[in-house]
Amino acid sequence: MVNENLVKDVVKEPYKYGFVTDIETEKIAKGLNEDIIRLISQKKEEPKYLLDFRLKAFKKWQKMKEPDWSGLGYKKIDYQDIIYYSAPKQKEKISSLNEVDPKLLETFDKLGIPLTEQKKLTNVAVDAVFDSVSIATTFREELAEHGVIFCSISEAVKNHSDLIEKYLGTVVPASDNYFAALNSAVFSDGSFVYIPKGVTCPMDLSSYFRINSGDSGQFERTLIIAEEASSVSYLEGCTAPMFDTNTLHAAVVELIALDDASIKYSTVQNWYAGDEEGIGGIFNFVTKRGKCLGKRSKISWSQVETGSAITWKYPSCLLLGEESIGEFYSVALTNNLQQADTGTKMIHIGPKTKSTIVSKGISAGNSINSYRGLVKMGTKAKGSRNYSQCDSMLIGDQASANTFPYIKSQQPNSEIEHEASTCRISEDQLFYLQSRGIEFEEAVSMMVSGFCRDVFNQLPMEFAAEADKLLALKLEGSVG
Amino acid sequence: MQSTMKESDPILEVENLSASTDNLPILKGVSLTVYPGEIHAIMGRNGCGKSTLSKIIAGHPSYNITNGEIKFLGENINSLEPEERAQSGIFLGFQYPIEIPGVSNLEFLRVSTNARRKFLNKEELDTFDFEELVKEKLEIVKMDHAFLSRSVNQGFSGGEKKRNEILQMALLEPKIAILDETDSGLDIDALRIVASGIKKISNSQTGIILITHYQRLLDEIEPNYVHVMSDGQIIKTGESDLALELEKKGYEWTDNFIKET
Amino acid sequence: MEIIEKIITNKSIDNQTEIQKICLDKLQSSPFPNPKSEQWRLSNKSKFANFLDYSVNEKNSKFDTPFPNISQKNIRLVIGDDCHINLLEENYSIKQLSEDKLVKYIKEQISCFDQNENWSDLLNLSLNCTKNTLGLKISGSEIPPIEIFSHASSNSLNAKTLIIFLEKNCDIDLLQVNLGKEKSSLSQSTFFCLEENSSLNHGVVSYGENKSNLLNSLNVIQSKNSEYNLGSLHFKFNYARFEIRIKQSEGNAKTKIKGMQITKKDEQISTYARIDFNGPNGFLDQINKSLADDKSHAIFEGSIIVPKIAQKTDASQLSRNLLLSNLAQIDTKPQLEIIADDVKCKHGATISQLNEEELFYMRTRGIALTEASKLQLSSYFQEIISFIPVSKDRWDLLDILLNEN
Repeated sequence: MVNENLVKDVVKEPYKYGFVTDIETEKIAKGLNEDIIRLISQKKEEPKYLLDFRLKAFKKWQKMKEPDWSGLGYKKIDYQDIIYYSAPKQKEKISSLNEVDPKLLETFDKLGIPLTEQKKLTNVAVDAVFDSVSIATTFREELAEHGVIFCSISEAVKNHSDLIEKYLGTVVPASDNYFAALNSAVFSDGSFVYIPKGVTCPMDLSSYFRINSGDSGQFERTLIIAEEASSVSYLEGCTAPMFDTNTLHAAVVELIALDDASIKYSTVQNWYAGDEEGIGGIFNFVTKRGKCLGKRSKISWSQVETGSAITWKYPSCLLLGEESIGEFYSVALTNNLQQADTGTKMIHIGPKTKSTIVSKGISAGNSINSYRGLVKMGTKAKGSRNYSQCDSMLIGDQASANTFPYIKSQQPNSEIEHEASTCRISEDQLFYLQSRGIEFEEAVSMMVSGFCRDVFNQLPMEFAAEADKLLALKLEGSVG
Repeated sequence: MQSTMKESDPILEVENLSASTDNLPILKGVSLTVYPGEIHAIMGRNGCGKSTLSKIIAGHPSYNITNGEIKFLGENINSLEPEERAQSGIFLGFQYPIEIPGVSNLEFLRVSTNARRKFLNKEELDTFDFEELVKEKLEIVKMDHAFLSRSVNQGFSGGEKKRNEILQMALLEPKIAILDETDSGLDIDALRIVASGIKKISNSQTGIILITHYQRLLDEIEPNYVHVMSDGQIIKTGESDLALELEKKGYEWTDNFIKET
Repeated sequence: MEIIEKIITNKSIDNQTEIQKICLDKLQSSPFPNPKSEQWRLSNKSKFANFLDYSVNEKNSKFDTPFPNISQKNIRLVIGDDCHINLLEENYSIKQLSEDKLVKYIKEQISCFDQNENWSDLLNLSLNCTKNTLGLKISGSEIPPIEIFSHASSNSLNAKTLIIFLEKNCDIDLLQVNLGKEKSSLSQSTFFCLEENSSLNHGVVSYGENKSNLLNSLNVIQSKNSEYNLGSLHFKFNYARFEIRIKQSEGNAKTKIKGMQITKKDEQISTYARIDFNGPNGFLDQINKSLADDKSHAIFEGSIIVPKIAQKTDASQLSRNLLLSNLAQIDTKPQLEIIADDVKCKHGATISQLNEEELFYMRTRGIALTEASKLQLSSYFQEIISFIPVSKDRWDLLDILLNEN
């Protein structure tokens, strides 16, 4: 048997993003009602259609029941005890990065996302979101030269209202699910990306989400539109300070790919996960969905989920366009009392559509790690194919790993293949590595990293290194 | 295209054949005529369309003929089902013979032999008579009787699969056999067995098309004609020495050829 | 409530047994399974309603046996008919279970029933009467193969219950045949208790006629070192559910399941399998095959549950499905729930049509498309059929199936 204590040590990891930025913020009163929604909309100077969108969503949300089907156990959320808008106080209009509060810049510096002109990452444009608002977006001029729009969604509402009105809520309708409805009613900020026809986005785009306040929820909304024959790679990172209360994060991400367009969406999610007793941590209830509208369009999701007390997230693809492609690559690591219920939905509607699912779940401690997925071949999905592979690795005998694949086909001329397996780190493999002089911790970390290789290979370069480091950190613990 | 006058009618005539799969053109006007007793070799790089040509002649459902025709014994067979073509005497030896788990090799061989015999108005064989026949044919490819009780090609080594193909050819007695890279994956002994098998089965009334990359099969079975394919077309035709020259100079040499009509 | 009233007002039930009372009580609190629950979500509502349409009938009309003649080597029993048996041979004994033991066992089972999961059993046991219940205790060795038949007669709903205790070191082959006559509903509940070191090769062959329905529930409890092999075949039902619940109560047991369902026309047949490992070193090898043609619907839902106590479990579950028509549909959901870390679990699922490359290969050898399909189907069926413990020469199941297709 692998030494239990050693394994426990190995999977322990201090959360290094747990600091709080001391900054004056503007918060509205706690609670949720129509007036609050009007207030948020007013603060953001929104047009009427958007206020109507919010109010309609709110009405729907009120009629909906919080889902309980996923078997996630958590304390009931008091939706009246949450602040729905919180923003760091700054000058009304910021014209350049130099006017951003240095404390904020320092915060992002500490998170490894420098924003200032001198230090900013060279090949990635970053949109930094702090609580409810977007602080800064880098490389805007450079991107504008290519016709690429990359800005906060609030700004897009002001400057690109036609696109917002045309596409917002078309992939994830407000009534889609409880948390999507809530987000549609109160969403604060998030990123907007528009890639014009024929343009390959010259650099990776990235949003970095930071929850700072302990009592406000984060409800960001992201919308990415890739016009014909365009392509973009988008990265998303998230962290939050350590609080002993739970913070709700209910985001909605919508992707739209037209003919021959391709969107690659990568996430490294490292929200605060709560402590060893399961106190505190983020409730991460997210709806992410992409619509492959165009022929030969492609949407690829890759995610590394290591944080949050509870994750409830199924980045999905609606494959409408002929020969469109959907991909989902996921690593989910849970420890202590974390719960992750994640997976994907691949809905094959158009003919000759293809999807690939690769999911790797690692559960340690007393955590619960579930893969839940749906693959559906509709009646018109002639010549379509899906391949899914879901592997789980268990560390310690208190952790659980579940696999719930739903598979449905109404099209004989299509193929679905699903494989799943569960394993643990084999003693033979460990022994082999150790006998070559590799430390135990190093060996475990190597094995986990090897287990996740198929997914890491899908991440953009910068992220792959970060993800590998993150897992190693979570696993190396005391050694780090 | 052929230089000498032929006394008998051709077995196979491929005329200006173009074909595509998933709207992607693969063959772009191939013409080829095979007379009784002839051995043709088709050579070319991977992806030049030579395997596709063989599949289309055999009637693979994934390919669409967009132009031209295939005539077998004077009749257009463009719209015949694969089994009708096989029954009438067209044999395709697969580059990668398909494994069919659960279907016994013996049963498979018997059903297919009887399908061909029925077409030839020969008496269909019962299990007992078929055993006799198959025993005789096993000799040709030096295969063990034990192969018959296994599932079709399942768990067969590369060489065993190819020998199983030649066994089928021996049983079906085709008018024309198209052998797609039958030599690939064979060691020198297996290659000799397969080559001698092919020679035993063929005669002055049958035609053979050998699709191959290499000279070594052609050392064993000398072709009357060698065709070089590139990008869905036959770009050069010659006699057996063309293969030798190709072996020496490599396919780059053929890149300079201007298409001959 | 209709169903309850139907049962209660059924004149043929004179005195309710204790079991009936308990189950009726449970059903009264919530008479139908929750249509949104996982177990019933995909169940066709109008077909399910049709199941309950027929009047309850516990008298068995004589039925013409479509089965092969009994051979001397077999023991044949028909539930509801002449199911009293008491065999005391040199090597073995097959005895009627005592009323006390039977009631005690069933009550124990009911106490862990879940309203949705065991609804079929609750219905069965509320209709249960002594006459249509067969309880056997089997011990010894060299026991001849046993055949047990249940059937539903036309225009009626029949309920049959089978309970078998397999005593220590006992080893048998048992074929269970469920037959639905035209316009009928059969509720069959089966309870097996395998004691230590016992081994059961169990075959289930269920087939109906025009518009027949089936709720077939199978509950197996395996003690340690027992071996349970199940080969099953369900076809020709307007609506059929086959529910398999297996519990390896102490682990250290072996379970092998090979099942198949074939749906045509507008039929719906589903298989639900739940395997609980309540101890270490359990073994499961399961394959379920579906074939759906015409406008039919085939469903498979499997769960493998491996709690912490079940270390060194080795479990595999495969769902293989053939979808042969544009209007048919297949749903499959093989699930794993694992807490133990030192386990080997895997599952897989595929949905496709007949393999085109294999078909082409056979066609290039002159075998006609229909014949080639038949060859493929026969190999598809063969794997399952060869696992059903029936004598091949008497029951040519493969032939029946291929001619059906």
